[in-house]
Amino acid sequence: MDETVAEFIKRTILKIPMNELTTILKAWDFLSENQLQTVNFRQRKESVVQHLIHLCEEKRASISDAALLDIIYMQFHQHQKVWDVFQMSKGPGEDVDLFDMKQFKNSFKKILQRALKNVTVSFRETEENAVWIRIAWGTQYTKPNQYKPTYVVYYSQTPYAFTSSSMLRRNTPLLGQALTIASKHHQIVKMDLRSRYLDSLKAIVFKQYNQTYETHNSTTPLQERSLGLDINLETKFKSGLNGSILAEREEPLRCLIKFSSPHLLEALKSLAPAGIADAPLSPLLTCIPNKRMNYFKIRDK
Amino acid sequence: MAGILASGLGVLAHLERLETQVSRSHKQSEELQSMQAQEGALGTKIHKLRRLRDELRAAVWHRRASVKACIANVEPNQTVEINEQEALEEKLENVKAILQAYHFTGLSGKLTSQGVCVCISTAFEGNLLDSYFVDLVIQKPLRIHHHSVPVFIPLEEIAAKYLQTNIQHFLFSLCEYLNAYSGRKYQADRLQSDFAALLTGPLQRNPLCNLLSFTYKLDPGGQSFPFCARLLYKDLTATLPTDVTVTCQGVEASSTSWEEQRASHETLFCTKPLHQVFASFARKGEKLDMSLVS
Repeated sequence: MDETVAEFIKRTILKIPMNELTTILKAWDFLSENQLQTVNFRQRKESVVQHLIHLCEEKRASISDAALLDIIYMQFHQHQKVWDVFQMSKGPGEDVDLFDMKQFKNSFKKILQRALKNVTVSFRETEENAVWIRIAWGTQYTKPNQYKPTYVVYYSQTPYAFTSSSMLRRNTPLLGQALTIASKHHQIVKMDLRSRYLDSLKAIVFKQYNQTYETHNSTTPLQERSLGLDINLETKFKSGLNGSILAEREEPLRCLIKFSSPHLLEALKSLAPAGIADAPLSPLLTCIPNKRMNYFKIRDK
Repeated sequence: MAGILASGLGVLAHLERLETQVSRSHKQSEELQSMQAQEGALGTKIHKLRRLRDELRAAVWHRRASVKACIANVEPNQTVEINEQEALEEKLENVKAILQAYHFTGLSGKLTSQGVCVCISTAFEGNLLDSYFVDLVIQKPLRIHHHSVPVFIPLEEIAAKYLQTNIQHFLFSLCEYLNAYSGRKYQADRLQSDFAALLTGPLQRNPLCNLLSFTYKLDPGGQSFPFCARLLYKDLTATLPTDVTVTCQGVEASSTSWEEQRASHETLFCTKPLHQVFASFARKGEKLDMSLVS
């Protein structure tokens, strides 16, 4: 087993909290039941990790196996990344989407490999018709950096893909191209929607409400569910007050205001009754579910 | 000195308490008065609403009487110079009438505080399958609040085409898509669960169940070569495929019996639901009855 692979697996396993370790290893399904039974999980973490690495060596783990483990870790720790939303579209009068997973994976991989030569692409399908894609980026001359991958969650036969924002910006166009072409779309745009919580993004983008019809209380608006979102407003500060330090500048101050809360829309709703804000609240703060945006740029009129 | 001060403070405290008591009892009698006034106002309101309810009921009965004759000729909502309120009420009436008429085709609904929640119950070959709902807010423009339609059904496209101009068409079109999807899914599920023995590999399917790919044998465990089938359903409102390709690998191209079988299988998949085709395979064993090709 390659030393870099061993090191990468070691670091990945070290990140996993002890109480999740067996669950994640089982989901990985790389080490056999028998092998796992030989491990004493009650030891100090370092000893457990060493034993696991030894077992991986026995089984000759490759970089693809390591990448898969990394995907599973990320699936369990989604909130560690900030997710962007991309929306694809087809040209007018295009054929019905006959999505073929095999074709998609091959096409996606080929496009990236042709452009970059050095890139690690891995896939893991989930039960909800979504495919997780992990891309470790390299260049024509350098090996892929396994420690700064990009993750993409694509819901097949929908126009939407969610990507982790921690990627090197120069690879964004290539990633967009690969997604669009492999999924047989025409165009891709980034939505003004961003959050750590994939479930919240899904709720807004898909407007879904998973309750059975009988118990569905349709008077409960989407706003009342806890969305765990942030609202980001990019704006300029202008003060009507004289003698204010910020207002005495030649150029108005550009700033980013971030509203953050585990129950953001609930919190905003309570601003007016609490006397902190004028009612009705600015539509910028309440239009998130309808307009599907949580990143706004306010310009001078 | 301290004693006088103390008793003075005591008197002050006592006066304060008396003052509070008086203001409290004033407050209470004020509250009582305002509650009584409110009660009176609410009573009047109840009378008014009851009268309105009776009027609306009469209107609904009137409408129901003429619904059947009108439904075939329902025109897109006409936004002439009626005021907004009336236009919205008319839309609501329209939806109610549609739901009345389509009740037995799996479309039902219930009124909500903001509009109507429509339930689409899908079925295939007499089997009741999944239900989906769409919560409509009767506003200008008409809006989908939320829904339980699967994300890969083109709900937004259908809504963009019909929702504002013709609710009936919107609901009908959505019903078509959902029933067809349910039917395709049912066939794929039945194939996987009931005829796994005839499959020689996992069934490849996608979310819409409009591309199915599988390999199968007529005599499981036997020496014959497996067939590969690829079913494309380009019409999302249909439960039968539009394109079928069956190939048989590892067999001499000149073998006529294989070619006949292969061709007949293709025809079968095009004309009969998937699980029924496999049921016939299972029944006939090795020999395929050509009379099934109708």
